[in-house]
Amino acid sequence: MEKTKKFEENIKELEQIINELETGEIDLDESINKYTTAMKLVKECDEKLKTVEEQVSKMVLENGEEEPFEVIDN
Amino acid sequence: MEEKYLTVTALTRYLKYKFDSDSNLRKVYLRGEISNFKSHTTGHFYFSLKDETSKINAIMFKTNTSKLNFTPTEGMKVLVTGSISVYEATGNYQIYVEDMLEDGVGNLYIAFEQLKKKLEQEGLFDLKHKKPIPKIPEKVGIVTASTGAAIRDILSTIHRRFPLCKTYLFPCLVQGENAAKDIVKKIKQANEYPLDVLIVGRGGGSFEDLNCFNDEEVARTIFASTIPVISAVGHEVDYTIADFVADLRAPTPTGAAELAVPNLVDLKHQLTQYHIRLNESIIKKVKIQKLYLESFKSSFAIKNPMLLFENKRQKLDVLYEQLIRSIQSYVERKKNALYQLQTHYILSNPKQLYEPSKQMLKNIIEKLELLNPLSVLKRGYSLTYHNDTLLHHIASLKKGDQIMVKLYDGDIYANIERIEKQNGKNKKI
Repeated sequence: MEKTKKFEENIKELEQIINELETGEIDLDESINKYTTAMKLVKECDEKLKTVEEQVSKMVLENGEEEPFEVIDN
Repeated sequence: MEEKYLTVTALTRYLKYKFDSDSNLRKVYLRGEISNFKSHTTGHFYFSLKDETSKINAIMFKTNTSKLNFTPTEGMKVLVTGSISVYEATGNYQIYVEDMLEDGVGNLYIAFEQLKKKLEQEGLFDLKHKKPIPKIPEKVGIVTASTGAAIRDILSTIHRRFPLCKTYLFPCLVQGENAAKDIVKKIKQANEYPLDVLIVGRGGGSFEDLNCFNDEEVARTIFASTIPVISAVGHEVDYTIADFVADLRAPTPTGAAELAVPNLVDLKHQLTQYHIRLNESIIKKVKIQKLYLESFKSSFAIKNPMLLFENKRQKLDVLYEQLIRSIQSYVERKKNALYQLQTHYILSNPKQLYEPSKQMLKNIIEKLELLNPLSVLKRGYSLTYHNDTLLHHIASLKKGDQIMVKLYDGDIYANIERIEKQNGKNKKI
């Protein structure tokens, strides 16, 4: 869950930093700081997107138990 | 003998008359199931209405069929209004249908409209209540049947677009009497999970099939969901109360999956774009800073550092002068004030008032002294009178005249013995 939220937040933060940097109104030191932060975010997101392991769907039973779920094609 | 026998036509006309004159048959409300339905090219409908044991032929003319807002189909249960009469050509009695409603569905539709209006007035459909759908969810919940096209379409779409996403199915009934309650239960259960978005729906079906999504409790549960809900009920054309109250309506289950998750390819592309933009912006920034630095280096001040010093120094001088001036003017002001005080004091001193007069008097006395002829006599000079006249010349004198000589301390009376002009003795006494 944490990671999920983080991904979208990372993307948002990234967008924000890029927009700020593109205005060119931030001084050099801060620009470099922000750039470093943004590059970390890019890397994190990139790594996240590269983990192409297919997620198994789960079915949640009424008692709260979870079991793997696959669609049965009739 | 033959007169007893009626013609078929006569009998039929009689029967028709009997039917037509019966006021009970003039307006009949009838419930039944459609069979042998035929929609003629003329626009008339020909069909039968039947129930478990009986059957009646029915005809509905174009003027009436054109008013229907649904197309009757084989097996459909309907409520019709019409009159009974006999069709002479076949001798069949039949119902001439004027109006037709879907049995049950008609009521369902009214209930749907009423509930929609009620919830709309309560504000359940207001845009301000719509929660934003996350762009990149990692956990998607699905409330639908565990079999059928809906779940298959949703899962395959999600896995195709965004395989990183975890999916949780909360299986539920999607039609029938207990479906609504089950849907409510599963939405509530899903809300206990940390899901990013929830898809609620089912595949296509009849209005009745979809009707569990027109349930008031289902609507209120969707409204109360803390997880954003995407509704996906039936086909594009189907609208249910669930669609109105959901945060986002998808036309189909596949559409819901597309709205729920991003496309991984797009996301990767987006990230690449971000990377590029990031690099470009920082390179640009450094370039600009470099240019700025260059311009600074070549600036007049850097090239002539003494100028900076000179400027400061000049300023110092100006300040110094200002300081001195201000002190001087201060002293001057105080001096003036003192002087004025002094002047005032002196002028009001009485000694000062009579001193000039005293001096003047002294001068006058001295002058007077100088002018006193007697004072000349002190120095040995004398005055000579003749007949009380002060003598200036010897010409008027002659021997024997008596003269008086005035000295400082007394007078001499004498007689002239001899007179001599200048260069000798002027006179002798």
